[in-house]
Amino acid sequence: MKNHTFAYPFSAIVGQDLMKEALLLNVVNPRLGGVLIRGEKGTAKSTAVRALASLLPEIDVAEGCPFACKPGPTNGNDSDFCVDCAVKAEAGTLATARRRTRVVDLPVGATEDRVLGTLDLEAAIKKGEKTFEPGILAEAHRGILYVDEVNLLDDHIVDVLLDAAAMGVNTVEREGVSFSHPARFVLVGTMNPEEGELRPQLLDRFGLCVQVEGILDIDSRVEVVKRRMAFEDNPEDFARIWAKEEQAVASRVERARALLPRVGFPDELLRLVAQIAVDMGVDGHRADLVMMKTAKTMAALDGRDIATREDVGLAAELALPHRMRKKPFQDIGLAQGAVAGSMEKALA
Amino acid sequence: MPNSQAARSSVYPFSALVGQERLKRALMACAVCPQIGGVLVRGQKGTAKSTAVRALAALLPHIEVVRACPFSCGPGGSLCPDCSARSSGLARGETLPTDWRPARLVDLPLGATEDRVTGSLDLEAAIRFGRKALEPGLLARAHRGILYVDEVNLLSDHLVDILLDAASLGVNIVEREGISFRHPAEVILVGTMNPEEGELRPQLLDRFGLCVEMAAPEDIDLRCEVLRRREAFDSDPSEFLAQWIETERQTARALVEARRALPLVRMPAPLMAKSSELCVEACVAGHRADLTLRRTARALAALAQREDVRQSDLDEAAELVLLHRRRMPPPPAPPEQEPQEEQKPEEHEHEHEHQNQPEQEQQPEPQDGQQPQQQQAEARASEDEGELEQSPESNETDEADAENQGRPLALETIFPVGAAFRVKPIVYKKDRVVRTGSGRRTRSRTSQKSGRYVKARQNPAPTDLALDATLRAAAPHQRSRRELPQPGEMAVLVQRSDLRQRVREKRMGHFIIFVVDASGSMGAGQRMVETKGAVLSLLLDAYQKRDKVGLIAFRGQGASVLLPPTSSVDLAYRLLEDLPTGGKTPLVHGLSLGHELLLQQLRRDPTSFPVLVVISDGKANVSLAGGKPLAEARLAARAIADDGRIRTLVVDVEKAGLIRFGLAQALAAEMGAQYFRIEDLRARDLVDVLRREVLEGTPR
Repeated sequence: MKNHTFAYPFSAIVGQDLMKEALLLNVVNPRLGGVLIRGEKGTAKSTAVRALASLLPEIDVAEGCPFACKPGPTNGNDSDFCVDCAVKAEAGTLATARRRTRVVDLPVGATEDRVLGTLDLEAAIKKGEKTFEPGILAEAHRGILYVDEVNLLDDHIVDVLLDAAAMGVNTVEREGVSFSHPARFVLVGTMNPEEGELRPQLLDRFGLCVQVEGILDIDSRVEVVKRRMAFEDNPEDFARIWAKEEQAVASRVERARALLPRVGFPDELLRLVAQIAVDMGVDGHRADLVMMKTAKTMAALDGRDIATREDVGLAAELALPHRMRKKPFQDIGLAQGAVAGSMEKALA
Repeated sequence: MPNSQAARSSVYPFSALVGQERLKRALMACAVCPQIGGVLVRGQKGTAKSTAVRALAALLPHIEVVRACPFSCGPGGSLCPDCSARSSGLARGETLPTDWRPARLVDLPLGATEDRVTGSLDLEAAIRFGRKALEPGLLARAHRGILYVDEVNLLSDHLVDILLDAASLGVNIVEREGISFRHPAEVILVGTMNPEEGELRPQLLDRFGLCVEMAAPEDIDLRCEVLRRREAFDSDPSEFLAQWIETERQTARALVEARRALPLVRMPAPLMAKSSELCVEACVAGHRADLTLRRTARALAALAQREDVRQSDLDEAAELVLLHRRRMPPPPAPPEQEPQEEQKPEEHEHEHEHQNQPEQEQQPEPQDGQQPQQQQAEARASEDEGELEQSPESNETDEADAENQGRPLALETIFPVGAAFRVKPIVYKKDRVVRTGSGRRTRSRTSQKSGRYVKARQNPAPTDLALDATLRAAAPHQRSRRELPQPGEMAVLVQRSDLRQRVREKRMGHFIIFVVDASGSMGAGQRMVETKGAVLSLLLDAYQKRDKVGLIAFRGQGASVLLPPTSSVDLAYRLLEDLPTGGKTPLVHGLSLGHELLLQQLRRDPTSFPVLVVISDGKANVSLAGGKPLAEARLAARAIADDGRIRTLVVDVEKAGLIRFGLAQALAAEMGAQYFRIEDLRARDLVDVLRREVLEGTPR
């Protein structure tokens, strides 16, 4: 991770609380399924995502494994190992390394072979061997896959991305190579709706969705510029000034991660979640699941071990806007008070 | 290289799925009787489609295979060349050694290339040992198992063709890279799709034995149960699996028992007759449905441990078998509707002239209730025209008059969608040329490098090198080349004749935006009906060709995107049906909105072929910026012409009369567009013209 020490600190971002909250939620609980940030240019979307990198926890990885396999006992009968690690684990020679969770960029112009991985040219020509050269999906396993301008992504790249995101496995059957490896990542995308909409299928893959707007308050705007200028003048100093705040956020995230497995979700809230989903007419069950998980994660971030109605209400605001679209080009968003109405109904 | 299909995270247990009984039954029926021919699972996002299929794979009964046969030949079944050679060398009474192993679930990922699907030359064997051998592909792996395609409607056309070939023959024939090989490939094809993303080609649709529609239950208790189980699974998979292991075993046992019972199941004669009757009623094409129906009914009976098929089995089977094959549906049901269109294209030929469309093409109910209103609108529209023919300026006051007289200003009428028709086969042929040719229309090296790599072809000077194919081409010659003077240091000696170019396929071939006048004057005669029919026909054609079609209508005070660029015919039909006609004519807004959409597309994909089709009489009486409406429209037209990347076509709908204003013609000239009059160009021809003149013409 080159010069991440000089990335703009997360805690120094002015306003945009909902976006920051959504990102933090995903750091605490990678199973939320990522976040889509919609908004105009210049609203700190990319800054926030990049700033996230320094808040991400360290993870154990198998040493030298290009797929960042998770060492240690695996869940269930199947393994989360790639082929090499599975062999090493069997032999008991799997070494562990520790590194920070990565934020991996998926550039809009990326080609399919770079995304999925492809035949290793060097090995093929020099040794006549057929080996798999891992791609972006391999790099992003257990990390964050960040797509700036996700709505401009080529259609067929979106297809393979969806494929991998849905299964948590990247299966490559191309160019003479047959290979598959785990690829579970938190998908974070930013987009400017003016440049065109996303396909509903891809929209649904993002756990949460937030809308960001430029701040209108004059004082805050001045503050934005001031901090930005200070940062540009001397990133190192700026980072030092904010180190304390940054540390506070990091430890809040850490506490929340520890607390999350113990957060309770009463039956009453379960019904509430289901009722909201039915009332809002969303497709499938993904919205329900995301609402529940988000509410629990919110409680954990707050330091509580039980989720509340307020959590569910807020979770709905984050989990539903992009799933409400019945027709393309219908505006994305929730009707004011729609969730509240549904909640009252469910609780009555 | 070891294959690692096994690297899969824990699978949610099949029996723990909440609800979705029909899907479970369909999958189980297929597992009992693979000859049923697989399942297509259609449904909304997030309805456990993929989860269910993966879960089933864990329950499949074991199969007996010839030991060490890479093609999983079954003793007694069809054999691959090796196995048949071995078995003919056996003494009487002797059999090939066999093993039992679980049936496989093989993923066919969307990004797969041809060589991996069919199998190709084994590169390492060729280079190292100079041996020409086939490296089995996915079809070989999936033999006697499940070939699973997630999002099957997004699969590249080329791969779909290969699948169809193999699935219909049950044999995979490889003729490539100097290899000639055939091996059995009997696969259960299981596909999932979300209809929102576009439909499946009818031919592939019919290939799936069963079809299930899925939707999430509305019942709160069921939804809560889904949540509870999923959360339990996510937080501790092994614990969850342990809880369900017993039920899973029971289900697996039931499958084995049902398989054993299947040969004994008999179908009584009356039910046989009944099943044929059901097929006739549903107007299915061919006899595959009959066969599948009987097999499914028997499989369901076997699952119930009965030896006779009952009416209830047949009913259940019919729901699964006929869902995607039923034809003569009430519209809209595009995929089923199409084959029917194909059979009788002539019928629609004369129909645009008449008010009476065939029932099935029209909106069912509003017909009666709306007739008077519609006539009224027509009458009014022709009134407009009467006045208009005297002076082009007068139509502005015309609307104002209407307001003053207390008549409703925007009299809206919803016209039915005109007869959809199938684009002629000739056009299809040509279109295939376009599709394969689109890769050849080189604009720049970079633009050619986008798109999905599906196969490779020989090219001594490739701009986009297909490394794998090149190596395979070079491999067989390595020995002889080594004997040449100065072989070099590389492991592989490549010559110019080996070089292969990637052939890429783009899903988005053409990008057509219709800008349709839906103002009051379009209500006259059958203009709107015809226009709607034409747009729909193009959509039907486009969704198979992976073109995208969008629709902008302008009427009243502004233009709006009715149909964003899509390949979903279902959606398009509904939107078209509901498109009202009436009001003023904001032509300029329509044009600029169309331009904007196309620019958006060009930004996203500079290699696409954007086409703008304007259907209008060229009149304009609402301005966008406050200038003269007509002048503004001309400006907008010129901006499109200046862009240079957009191909345009203007269809003039001005009725022939004593005086013609030729406004649309002027507009076309301004835009550099091809110009057609609607009389010269009935709806059917519009499609032809568009395909022939615009899409296939060289880019300007």
